[in-house]
Amino acid sequence: MGTITFHNVSKVYRGPKDVRALDDVSLNVDEGEFVALLGPSGCGKSTLLNVLAGFEKITDGTLLFDGSAVMRPGPDRGVVFQEAALFPWLTVWENVIFGPKVQGLARSDYEPRARKLLGLVGLASFADALPVQLSGGMRQRVGIARVLAMNPRALLMDEPFGALDAQTRLSMQQLLLDVWQSLGTTVLFVTHDIDEAILLSDRICVMSARPGRIVRTISITLARPRSIGSLTSPEFVAYKAEIMADIQISHTH
Amino acid sequence: MSVSPERISSESGDERNSVSRGVGVSLVAGRGLQRALLAAVLPVIVIIIWQIAGRGGSLFGGVLPTPDRVWHAWQVWAFGPTGLGLNPYSGTWFANLVFSAERVGKGFLCAIVVGVPVGIMIGWNRISAGALDPTIQLLRPIPITAWLPFSIAIFGIQDIGAIFLISLGAFFPIVLNTAQGARDVERNLIRAALMMGAGRWTVLRRVVLPASLPSIFTGLRIGLGIGWTAVIVAEMIAVKSGLGYVLWDAYYVGRMDVVIADMASIGLLGLASDFIILHIERWVLTWRRLQSFQS
Repeated sequence: MGTITFHNVSKVYRGPKDVRALDDVSLNVDEGEFVALLGPSGCGKSTLLNVLAGFEKITDGTLLFDGSAVMRPGPDRGVVFQEAALFPWLTVWENVIFGPKVQGLARSDYEPRARKLLGLVGLASFADALPVQLSGGMRQRVGIARVLAMNPRALLMDEPFGALDAQTRLSMQQLLLDVWQSLGTTVLFVTHDIDEAILLSDRICVMSARPGRIVRTISITLARPRSIGSLTSPEFVAYKAEIMADIQISHTH
Repeated sequence: MSVSPERISSESGDERNSVSRGVGVSLVAGRGLQRALLAAVLPVIVIIIWQIAGRGGSLFGGVLPTPDRVWHAWQVWAFGPTGLGLNPYSGTWFANLVFSAERVGKGFLCAIVVGVPVGIMIGWNRISAGALDPTIQLLRPIPITAWLPFSIAIFGIQDIGAIFLISLGAFFPIVLNTAQGARDVERNLIRAALMMGAGRWTVLRRVVLPASLPSIFTGLRIGLGIGWTAVIVAEMIAVKSGLGYVLWDAYYVGRMDVVIADMASIGLLGLASDFIILHIERWVLTWRRLQSFQS
């Protein structure tokens, strides 16, 4: 459950000058795996996430989620957006239960779970607040809780901590590690932050821009459970050096 | 090591308090009186000059009555005994005001019932936009006064004609602003809803509609203003009651004091109705108010 297969996938945006956002991308993500897509802006990493989410259609190739072709967005693939994208007119609680509610699930099925998740992200006392009353990091916690409330088979995260300050970002990374370690959901995580990619993932796919390609895949074998304390370990620094050298190479191309 | 919700919640608790304090009582009460006084300065000066300039109770060779006469005429119009024959307006102010307000209310409601859904469709769906928008743009430049003969011919001298004109006038700003609001809904909000399993109808009702509300209210306020224009025009010609009818009738018999009292009534009524919409808007769009306060 939660397996992702990109097989020779291309995505071209038609226009006066066609843009090949994804060029012949192949990628397999196993159940429960945490994969980071790392690359500069404009390298197609968000496009990769958007086609998997079903927001956009691929131009070529095969894209499978749990063995069936991706046609449209759905609650089996929970997306966490960069700017949280909460509904500003709904309270935190209403945002969190939005998914199960519109799917017509019974209240008794989702309420206890939603409450638990709100506690898990540390916002139990903010259930009645509106999103505008929260800080950026808190909003992103709601964004994560609302996705988890649907019990998705995969989490697709598009630079979810990119807009946060450094300190909040660290605490969010820790939160995500804790949540992922307890739930074991498949995660595809888009980022341009090398530290973040190493800290969180089992595997990093380094992407290059125009056309968007996966130029290298690096397995991260740091011991789990990890914490933000791992950021300073020698193994961590070694990985970082390796990736930085790599990015240098793809720049000089 | 794990996240510490205590630290975060206390920090943001302050944030929340400052919000409620900011929009709260102290601010409104203190500045409210000041603002009311400031607002009254100009009208009071105008009325005083107008009064002083008048000789023997009128200006411009007897055409324009002074404020005290207008005030007196208004009092008789509002509170005088009805049905004596000497003064046909005596005691009829409230009844006429209700006639006009009722027409505006009905016409405005029709405009909302049609305008909001049509606007959402235009803003949301390309085919609806292509099918409806050009026709609306073609009809929109036709002023409400140009529809008068058409309205009288079709509906006769009846309420329905006035209501037709009001709803037509209010329809355009409502539909255009609603469409604008629906077009401008943040793409990620729609994507988020689809991702959470919402169907098209649910997205329209639970995302597009609430996200468009700020624009819709802008349209409502403009539409209501046009509704008041339309009711006066319609009553001057197409019906035999209401403030617009009295306005024209009083002019014909040379009762300029009643004319001016009537104009003031229309102004106050328009102001009051806008005030009501503004308060409904504030209540409905609490999230929006907090948002602008925050930034």
